[in-house]
Amino acid sequence: MNQLIPIYIKSMLIILAISVITISLIVKKNNRIRKLQILLHKLKRSFYNLDEQAKLIVKTDLELNKAQEELDKRLHGLEALQKTSRLISTTLDENEIFHRLNQSLMTDLDYEKNLILVYGENKIFYSRVSSGFSEEDVHFIISNIEKDVNLINALINGNTFSSANAPKQRIESITHLFDVEHFVLTPILTQNGFIGIVFVGNRSNAPGITEGDEELISILANQIGQSIENARLFEQVFLSHQSLETKVLDRTKQLESALEEVKNISKTKSEFVSAVSHELRTPLTSIKGYASILMAGKLGEIPDKVKKRLEKINMHSDNLVKLINELLDISRIESGRVEMHLEKTNMLNLIENVQDLLTPQFKNKGVNWVTEADESIPELLIDSSQVERVFINLISNAVKFTPTDGSITVRAKKENEDIQFDISDTGIGISKEDIKRLFDEFYRVDNNINQNVKGTGLGLAVAKKIVEAHGGKIWISSEEGNGTTFHFTIPIQPTNKTES
Amino acid sequence: MALDISIGFSQDEVPEKAAQIAALDAKKNLNSDGLNFAFVFSTVDYDPSVTLPVIYNTLQGMPILGCSTAGLVQSTSIKTSGIAILTVHSNDIQCGTGHIENINTFNPYQAGSMLANNCIEKYGRHGRAIFLFFIDGLLAGNQQFTKGIQDILGTVFPTVGIGSSDDFTYKDSFQIYQNRILRNSATGLILGGHLNVGIGNRHGWRPLGKPRIIDKVEGNIIKSISGYRASYLYEEYLGDEALDLQTSKGDKMSILYPLGIFVEGNKEYLLRNALSIGDDGSIVCQGDVPEKAEVHLMIGNKETCKHAAFEAAQEAKNNLLGKQPKAILVFISFARLKLFGRTAFQEIEEIKKVFAPDVPIFGMYSNGEICPFQSNERFKKALFQNCSIVVLAIS
Repeated sequence: MNQLIPIYIKSMLIILAISVITISLIVKKNNRIRKLQILLHKLKRSFYNLDEQAKLIVKTDLELNKAQEELDKRLHGLEALQKTSRLISTTLDENEIFHRLNQSLMTDLDYEKNLILVYGENKIFYSRVSSGFSEEDVHFIISNIEKDVNLINALINGNTFSSANAPKQRIESITHLFDVEHFVLTPILTQNGFIGIVFVGNRSNAPGITEGDEELISILANQIGQSIENARLFEQVFLSHQSLETKVLDRTKQLESALEEVKNISKTKSEFVSAVSHELRTPLTSIKGYASILMAGKLGEIPDKVKKRLEKINMHSDNLVKLINELLDISRIESGRVEMHLEKTNMLNLIENVQDLLTPQFKNKGVNWVTEADESIPELLIDSSQVERVFINLISNAVKFTPTDGSITVRAKKENEDIQFDISDTGIGISKEDIKRLFDEFYRVDNNINQNVKGTGLGLAVAKKIVEAHGGKIWISSEEGNGTTFHFTIPIQPTNKTES
Repeated sequence: MALDISIGFSQDEVPEKAAQIAALDAKKNLNSDGLNFAFVFSTVDYDPSVTLPVIYNTLQGMPILGCSTAGLVQSTSIKTSGIAILTVHSNDIQCGTGHIENINTFNPYQAGSMLANNCIEKYGRHGRAIFLFFIDGLLAGNQQFTKGIQDILGTVFPTVGIGSSDDFTYKDSFQIYQNRILRNSATGLILGGHLNVGIGNRHGWRPLGKPRIIDKVEGNIIKSISGYRASYLYEEYLGDEALDLQTSKGDKMSILYPLGIFVEGNKEYLLRNALSIGDDGSIVCQGDVPEKAEVHLMIGNKETCKHAAFEAAQEAKNNLLGKQPKAILVFISFARLKLFGRTAFQEIEEIKKVFAPDVPIFGMYSNGEICPFQSNERFKKALFQNCSIVVLAIS
């Protein structure tokens, strides 16, 4: 028995030890389970949090999608609008505008149905752009829209309607009329008011219409209005221009015909003057001859009274011969019958000759002659006797209007391709009105000097013809009371005109 | 290998004229001998009873397959109205066409088998490169239908199916087979011979939030998810906006946030658009949904979709194993057309980045795409998908 006790105790101790180990293992396991439970709980909470975040993401994504959709639509719309605007603003042909719009609306703006109606001259709508509608549809729409006075009035007032914003009743009537679900209907306005409508629409399954579409189509309609207005204005201007051109052509023809007539008259006049002058010169020569014979006493002594009368006949005959000669000169130059004897001439010598010739006149009147000529001026190819006449005419004329102790200056200088001659006096000057007519044949300035001094009124006309026959120009600058200057030019290189 | 491709397109307002222009353009480069066949895609605003006879006569009786669509994909643009025709000519490829009508009078598996048999009957024993079929996009049971096809034709080559679409009204889609306009039907085409096809398929959506389990489902209607009525998933994430899912406004939302079903062994989630919410809180999906599957709310945007288009094109190119493509066929879910709207062409621009600029791109917007998923399991199981883009590079 005593031997069994230690064995029992041992066994009990072993059992106790095993129990302690088991219990400690269980506690450890429970701790791990508890830890795992905590971890699981944490995971669940994270999972829950992640799911909650996912919900937030979805809501944000939803908003972003909506915003992006609208933004995309607007961007696309703006691009399309820019392209369409550029297309229609680069033509001034109304038909071309609509042709381009037809293509652009179809391809760029992406609406399933498009319709542009524009008033004709009879205030009836005509379809200018149509896609997604049959001819019958368009006819039906036009006949119904014209009946809807309220709608037309609203459009006239610039109102735009869209399925996004219009009153429910209006949306229903427009969707029914155009057979669409979503739409924009906007007026085309010009400075002259309402001229048509732009309609775009989509069926139920296509993307809806937003305020962005409404804005886009309104801008497009404005652009269309402006382009149509420009095209119509251009057409008006073009037509006016054409009409003006026709008028100018007609008038030019009339003027040409009148000019031809004037030329013919002038030619007839020249021929008449030439013929008459010739006819007058023969009897005048006889008159002058007989007067000279009588004056010389070859037919017997004549009383002083008769002699004086004969001297007057002789003097008047001389004047008449001079007049006739000048008329003949003008007539010859005008008709081109005058023969120019062109030769190289030293102009300074020519001026000196003229001075010699006119010295008596200068002395009689007590007027000074001044020459200011550039000595380097070249020789000119001219008919020297004719050009001398120009100098004589102009200088004699100057002497006539220059008071005693006055002076006359003759200048010669190179001006570009010409030699310019100026004859300046210190006389009474000429009014602007007279200057305009001074080169007219038989025109004489109405002043005291002319009333007392006889003249033909042909001297300046002859001078002008001679200068022009040499390819030059003649003109006058004068101020009343401050003298007058006659200017004329002769080209250094002879022109065709001179050579002919 | 000589493979001539010709494309015709028209959106003339007169349907007969549009059909003729498109058909004449599409046969310009074709030879008279050898194999010719044509794909015809038309938007529903062109009455096929008017256009198809013109197309059929112009193409002089060559095999024609096609369907209605919400939009036409071309190298240079996306058109939501028009008729597009692609003709193919080659002396080195074989094709067999077939069709099946009144699908809903058969069980989907049986209907798929019948279509496959119809096609193979005319095709014979040539090597097969791809089976392409067009099916009424509103029909249910597409997964079974595809299984029926693959059990007949095999799974060593890809099977790709395209659901016909309409103008988003879900009422008026049709299929085209020769000079016939069909509804509630499917048409198929086996292609083989010296033909290489590279396939790429992506969608671009990513899972969001915690996973849930589909408790109860009836075909394409999810009754409950993780112990709640199914619609509670949307309510939780979208709040009041979820109410829009019950109206037409919800179209866009269901596209932005489709349901994503985890498919074992695949990298991508299988997407299902929520077509509507039932009075009992059930979600009606576009396509069948497996019970007890893990489901997520998915999130995507234009950028992720564009990247997906690029990846799909890249995958198609890689699958061609260095061969130069002669044409790119693109089938895009019409949900993506709705998502991109006016900027839909951006996806095509992504595809164009991958291929040579002169390779023509031709395609359509579909209502459901059936395609091997990311080619992970090669071609064993073509899955019915929503919101995806399928790129076929043909060489």
